[in-house]
Amino acid sequence: MEPWVIALSLIGIYLVVTLVLGLVANRSLSVDLDDFLLYGRKARFFVLYLTIVATYHSAFAFLGSSGFFYTHGIGFWVAGTWTVVTGAITYVIGPRIWALGKKFDYMTPADMMADFYESEPVRVVVAAVSIVFTILYIQVQAQGLGYIVSAASGDRVSFEAATAVLLVVAATYLMAGGLRAVYWTDVLQGVWMYVAVWVGALVLSYELFGGPLQLLAAVKEQRPDLLTIPGPRGFFTYPMWFGMMVTLSFGVVLQPHLLIRYYTAVDARTLRWLGATIPIFLVSLFIPTVFVGLGGALVMPDIAIPDRIFPELLFAYAPAWLTGLILAGATAAAMSTLDSILHANTAVLTRDIYQRYINADGSRAHYIAVSRFFIVCLLIIGYILSVYTFDQLVIVVTLSGAGALQLLPALAGVLFPSRRCMTATGVLTGIGAGLVTLFFTLVVWPHPLTMHGGVWGLAANWLVAWAVSRVTPKPSAATVNRVHGTIEELVYGPRDGINTIDPIRDTGA
Amino acid sequence: MSSKPQNATTDPASRYVAFGSHYVPRTATGRGVVVAYLLLLAFAEWPLLPWANRIEPTFLGFPFIFAYLGVIYVAKIAVLIYAARRQL
Repeated sequence: MEPWVIALSLIGIYLVVTLVLGLVANRSLSVDLDDFLLYGRKARFFVLYLTIVATYHSAFAFLGSSGFFYTHGIGFWVAGTWTVVTGAITYVIGPRIWALGKKFDYMTPADMMADFYESEPVRVVVAAVSIVFTILYIQVQAQGLGYIVSAASGDRVSFEAATAVLLVVAATYLMAGGLRAVYWTDVLQGVWMYVAVWVGALVLSYELFGGPLQLLAAVKEQRPDLLTIPGPRGFFTYPMWFGMMVTLSFGVVLQPHLLIRYYTAVDARTLRWLGATIPIFLVSLFIPTVFVGLGGALVMPDIAIPDRIFPELLFAYAPAWLTGLILAGATAAAMSTLDSILHANTAVLTRDIYQRYINADGSRAHYIAVSRFFIVCLLIIGYILSVYTFDQLVIVVTLSGAGALQLLPALAGVLFPSRRCMTATGVLTGIGAGLVTLFFTLVVWPHPLTMHGGVWGLAANWLVAWAVSRVTPKPSAATVNRVHGTIEELVYGPRDGINTIDPIRDTGA
Repeated sequence: MSSKPQNATTDPASRYVAFGSHYVPRTATGRGVVVAYLLLLAFAEWPLLPWANRIEPTFLGFPFIFAYLGVIYVAKIAVLIYAARRQL
């Protein structure tokens, strides 16, 4: 049997398994928006762990990171820094978001911020930023999926057809089972992608060099410029290193598909342990991609699209059945993020736009039907974006992260009580200043002084938000006391010994 | 407009509760954990990182900068696990 037939068959089997999981999830689904969009707020450690890591790591981690090690060398190990910081961010803000969602029934980031700042413009702006910048992420995943299947078929299946099929599969199981389907498929996808990337990298290392140690020795001898920063093209300067750390830790966490996951946890303790332990998975997934990228730079030095180095090496040097299994893992990496973004944007559109401004009195079944309609719309938009534009995956991810990063001052104002409170006008002008600065520092004059544009945008945002908040009315005392009182109770315990966040469960505070 | 008029009112419902800042932990252990984490973060950034930006000595074949950063990442994860165990 031809290798490409075996590879495509294994990817096909994987897709069928995800669809079956989606249908099984559908049988457990109740007619409730909370269940459809938030897993009924009952996600426990194991499922939440694998869904967060599978969502965080995407086509970018599987293909883009290998491409980056291939092009820029060891400097991409900065990815370890931002993934460990992601754990710390989850540890700190995850329980706070969970507590507020549990107590005040928030479903989206915009829900929470609009309530605290008592401002509908805040709701609309946060929802818009959430959607616009994560749609870029849909493009990244859909393109990744298209490349994987196109490469697996030896270009017999077009990029456009592959992208369409995989988008439809992801949308189908999401429509069938809601977030429950996403979480269950993420468990499968998280395990599969982790095993696949390690097995693929080790097999290639032994096949091509006799092992990872020999691979590294060969790189040291032939391409030592790949083993220090800033790398052969001078990309990883120290300011860029710092900027990517900020942009791709806070920026990715602040995207709605990850923020919404914090609402779904069963309790605060689960989120603290998640924050402490998810970096183990996130960081260690980059180690095998070092072998792929650096080894690929020696074996295939002139590849046209660096992001394709992993599949190209597999096809050239690995057995067909293994290539199929590993590319199915790469498909899992991309789909686990794609379905989560489709879900998050659906939640934002349904909750923050439709339910708020178009039909506030619909039945539960009506809102679920509307959610499914939005999934179809997003699928079409994602497809159009994917087939008509192209860039290196990591560049698009960075742009996406830099945009979502602009929500940080507004979110910090809600989650961190302090003497000086942020205001609606302050955070709105801050976000505006941040996005304008982002345009200039990413598009007009990319990365001034070699510092990543996202950091310049965040600095301008925070400065303006802080200054404007000094001279504009802050939210009412009742709201500030209610929201910040809940945070205070979560972190430092209930004032009167009465747990008001989740009376039937220990918050772990 | 400042917040002073709202604070000055006698209506308890319109008084802002003076929550302590959440940017700095209130316990010594909490502050220690934050300081340890930030120090480790600093070791992986300029101006300390250039010291480690070299290939030799290698560790299990990995260039020194890779191994150095790997140790820092493990230490940062250990700090987070310590914090979780202490429920900080």
